[in-house]
Amino acid sequence: MLRNIDKVSGIDKISTRSRMNDATFITLSMLGVLIVLLGLACLFVPNFYLGQNIINLVTNYWFVIVLGIGVTFLLITGNFDMSVSGIVAMSGVLSVYFCQAAHVSQSELANGLGLPYWAAIVLALTASLIIGAINAFFITKLKVASIIVTLGTMSIARGIAHIVTHGAQRNTSLPDVFKVIGNITVIGSIKLSVIIMIIFVIIAVIIEKRTVFGRRTYLIGANIEAARLSGVKVGQHLTILYLISSLLAGITGILLASEYVSGTSNRAMGSEFDALVIVLLGGTSIAGGFGSVSGTVIGALILAVVTSSATGLLLRPEWQFILKGIVTFLAIMAQRFALDRRNI
Amino acid sequence: MGINENISKQVRKSGTNSWKATLKGSYVFILLIIVVVILSLVKMDSGGIFGRGHFLNWDGSIVNLLRSAVPILTLSGGFTLLMISGNIDLSVGSALSLSAVIYSLMILNGFGLFFSFIITMILGIVLGFVNGLLVMKLRITPVIATLVTLNLYKGIARLIVPPGISAIKSSTIKTMPAWINNYARKDLIAGLPVAFFVAIVIIAILVIIQRKTILGKYSVAIGGNRLAAELSGINAVKIGWILYIMVGLLAALAGIARASYMSIGDPLTGDGMELDCIIAVLLGGTAFSGGEGSVIKTIAGALIIMCITTGLMTVIPPYWQMFTKGTVLVLAVTLNSLLVREKVLE
Amino acid sequence: MSEYVLEIKNLIMDFPGVRAVNDVSFNIKRNTVHCLVGENGAGKSTLIKILTGAYIKTSGTILLNGKEYIAHNTREAKQKGISTLFQELNIVNQLTVEENLTLGIEDTFMGFLKKTDKIKKMIGILKSLEPSINPKQLVSSLSVAKKQIVEIAKAVATEADIIIMDEPTAALSENEIQRLFKIIKSLREKNVTVIYISHRLDEIFELGDYVTVMRDGKHIATKPVSEVKDRCELIKMMIGKTLFESYIPKETQSSQTLLEVKNLTTDKLNNISFEIKKGEIVGFYGLVGAGKTEIARAVFGADSYRGEIIFKGKKLYNSPDKTIEAGIALVPEERRSQGLFTVLTIRENISVMNMQKISRAGFINHIKEKNVSAEYINKLRIVTNTMEKQVSKLSGGNQQKVVFSKCLFADSDLLILDEPTRGIDVGAKSEIYNIIRQLSKEGKSIMMLSSELPEIVNICDRIFILFDGDMKAEIKNSSDIDCEEIIHIATGGEVVC
Repeated sequence: MLRNIDKVSGIDKISTRSRMNDATFITLSMLGVLIVLLGLACLFVPNFYLGQNIINLVTNYWFVIVLGIGVTFLLITGNFDMSVSGIVAMSGVLSVYFCQAAHVSQSELANGLGLPYWAAIVLALTASLIIGAINAFFITKLKVASIIVTLGTMSIARGIAHIVTHGAQRNTSLPDVFKVIGNITVIGSIKLSVIIMIIFVIIAVIIEKRTVFGRRTYLIGANIEAARLSGVKVGQHLTILYLISSLLAGITGILLASEYVSGTSNRAMGSEFDALVIVLLGGTSIAGGFGSVSGTVIGALILAVVTSSATGLLLRPEWQFILKGIVTFLAIMAQRFALDRRNI
Repeated sequence: MGINENISKQVRKSGTNSWKATLKGSYVFILLIIVVVILSLVKMDSGGIFGRGHFLNWDGSIVNLLRSAVPILTLSGGFTLLMISGNIDLSVGSALSLSAVIYSLMILNGFGLFFSFIITMILGIVLGFVNGLLVMKLRITPVIATLVTLNLYKGIARLIVPPGISAIKSSTIKTMPAWINNYARKDLIAGLPVAFFVAIVIIAILVIIQRKTILGKYSVAIGGNRLAAELSGINAVKIGWILYIMVGLLAALAGIARASYMSIGDPLTGDGMELDCIIAVLLGGTAFSGGEGSVIKTIAGALIIMCITTGLMTVIPPYWQMFTKGTVLVLAVTLNSLLVREKVLE
Repeated sequence: MSEYVLEIKNLIMDFPGVRAVNDVSFNIKRNTVHCLVGENGAGKSTLIKILTGAYIKTSGTILLNGKEYIAHNTREAKQKGISTLFQELNIVNQLTVEENLTLGIEDTFMGFLKKTDKIKKMIGILKSLEPSINPKQLVSSLSVAKKQIVEIAKAVATEADIIIMDEPTAALSENEIQRLFKIIKSLREKNVTVIYISHRLDEIFELGDYVTVMRDGKHIATKPVSEVKDRCELIKMMIGKTLFESYIPKETQSSQTLLEVKNLTTDKLNNISFEIKKGEIVGFYGLVGAGKTEIARAVFGADSYRGEIIFKGKKLYNSPDKTIEAGIALVPEERRSQGLFTVLTIRENISVMNMQKISRAGFINHIKEKNVSAEYINKLRIVTNTMEKQVSKLSGGNQQKVVFSKCLFADSDLLILDEPTRGIDVGAKSEIYNIIRQLSKEGKSIMMLSSELPEIVNICDRIFILFDGDMKAEIKNSSDIDCEEIIHIATGGEVVC
């Protein structure tokens, strides 16, 4: 039927330029919101406009963005992953435990398995992938609601962190190389972790916009039955997404453990909700088939502006919870309102 | 045709062997008995099975368990009805914490029992009202809406506690009156406090609501087939809203019980309660998609989880708790998916 | 009270580009069973949708019990007295029969459910229809047939004037059908008028007091069933004198077998066996409930089945992604829910089934993708000014063209079309038929399942006639084919007309 699809006549008659589609509209709108908020913050929050502050916004939030990548892809397909924060804690703790020197001290928390650091990393990541696989199994094979399963695996993962650290932390007898990757700076004072985040974001955006894999993610989210009938291997695809999400969380855990030179059981507490918030702020909708990683990054920046403004205005840290809730709510309503108005 | 296929699927699923069906239906009770038996057999050294230090010892162990169980017993019945209607509330833990904080704050500052009770209960209604607004009226997905309120209420609770202090409690300036314990700690009958019996009454009321009132029936209808329910004239928004308010109120009562038991208002006290409730309803055979569930079975599930947490607390170190709970949740999920018949989804 | 419960005068229903109901006028007598027949596209379902409130009429008058009637949704229609028995039963499985009967109309005392005479009355109605149903049992434990009866009882008890039943016997066994008929006939004594739509013409004769025939949106005739001589008369009225574009016999006949289906059996299908050769266009003609979609989905691997399906010499696997790889594509029956990604653009929809062709090493070549979309938009004349338009914003016909494009792009050897021209205007239909013929010339095989006889007859080389899950006959197409015979068999007939 089609001869050569590299050259087709008549293409100039069909416009390929679109009235900007809804997803781009939302992303740009949230970017606008970000700029407005930045402006307001600079005006009202003392010292906000200092360049260092703004850079800090990004650099302090790097790990939420990394987690947000996995959560974005999953939310596009209509699924949650609440286990990420637990995996961060678990993988960090394991990375410490495996390479702590063995038989050095009376205190149990100062003894580890004495493996080389690279082995500890590999094992910690393997454990993270196992959690991701458990998630995938229950969601694709047993068809359990993703929110429930991932809340369960979050407890399991963080629970493992608790067990290994006896509820506290492990931070002694570590090899010197341990603190390198989390603290090393590249290009001036920008940490390696931030660079890694940027790389991951770029890769994610490429996957989302330019690859078949990314396209299939949207297809599953838009209409899972039609996707199946169009040849998409839905179960396999979702499994890969959960493995990616858990792997990203695992890497984050290792980097954070290195940065703080410790594995704590309450690391990244609440960051599963933070990740969800930035994804929602960025315009991704649970309705499926809609959303983007670039939106998530903008969402992260919005959240960063809001939370650091709160700190700058000397609000108590407890305000963070309240602000996150309100901001998420406003974003959902505003996005819905804007899309309804647009599509009348 | 696609529709007919769904119809024949329904037919196939409905023809269950009734013996197997009964077993499937009551597995939670069997589980409860198994758990109790296992825990009783631990530490079988001195004192016999009902002696001191053992699980089945009334004054030491069982009373403690039941007293600690008051919050979940108060809450999980209502939670069940909400889930039957096809909705969920993840903010119950935070609502509980906030209620505990408010209640203890009032008591500490000299307000009487009655007044503090009323105000806290009104708070619970408001918290539930907000959830209902978000989910039923504004049509935000229940998971996301209640995650939002989870954080909102959590923040407010922590904000109320003065900086540098971990909970609302006795200080050098003010002391928490001892009678705060009268509700949930002080012995009324057989070692059990007032709050326990209040929880029993609430459970009884919920069972009656589920079986004999229009609220119970409509909850099943909305969860089972919302379209058919609305076609018959049922106002799904109103029913759902009422259920959310009810859950909020029960969370407040649970918070009061918690504050009364511990004599402090701890803003972290309710953390994880939503997980406990979810485990309880899953064990009790509630379908996550709605339409199926039973208050009594959920209570059995709640007792299972209380047995596991308090019973295990004597045997395993506290830092094993979270892992255990997560594993129990995943096991409950597995059981539930295998044994509970979900609605046929079109 | 007038003798007519429903009076329809000059009813017109227009959609963009098509007049679905064209100046229809007829009356329905009170307390009768009034049947409505007509081929697909005759306008029956549109008429019913106007009555149930799914559509608002363009013009004309409908009088219910002498009063002007209009409904904006099913609930309003129900309140005004017109209840409908849908195929998706509007019943709550998790409640008991009794609870379903009283759903929404319970008597309560301060929130508590009261057992009043109302319940007794409703149970009485149910028992009079079907005594074997226990009001205390859960609806989920009932068979489909009994669930239907419960719905009927509810409609009767809520004092519906009219109950519309659309192909109610599609999922029922012979015994259950007989029982349903007894119940329907008894409804006349309960002051209920039944509008009964069915393709099974024998049912009309067994059940109906009156019959209305529609064709091409127009009202053809309304008569007492007793005055209708036989099915042939009905069939003649249904088809009319439509001249079919005559079938052009195929010149080249390939003898290579592409698809072999042996003893295909599912819940609905009974031992279906057939073969399709390379380059053939094979039609499956049958009406609602005949089993067309089941066959389509089984061959495509979307549903499980018993039996054997061999494609290009190899056994087929039970999953769509593998059958697509093997070279089969399906245009599904429900385009919105199964065939399209309505929130995505035309361009994104078209490329779905063959992403390898527009990508390399996993990366999409956007230029190729745009070329492909442009090609199909042109070829199928999809009406849009841009390929980036969200598919949900297209008309039904254009949406179907997008589904078609998607499947054509899969470049498969066998194309399964399930009701391919449903909801498409005449011009577009003709374009699609040409494409089908062209594909066949290129050596592709087509499996076309449809309930529209003209298109089956116009294009297909061979025709299988389905009825009630059975393959009743195989006919080789020729220019003087007997359409009445085909409809006769497809509506359950055995005897030669």
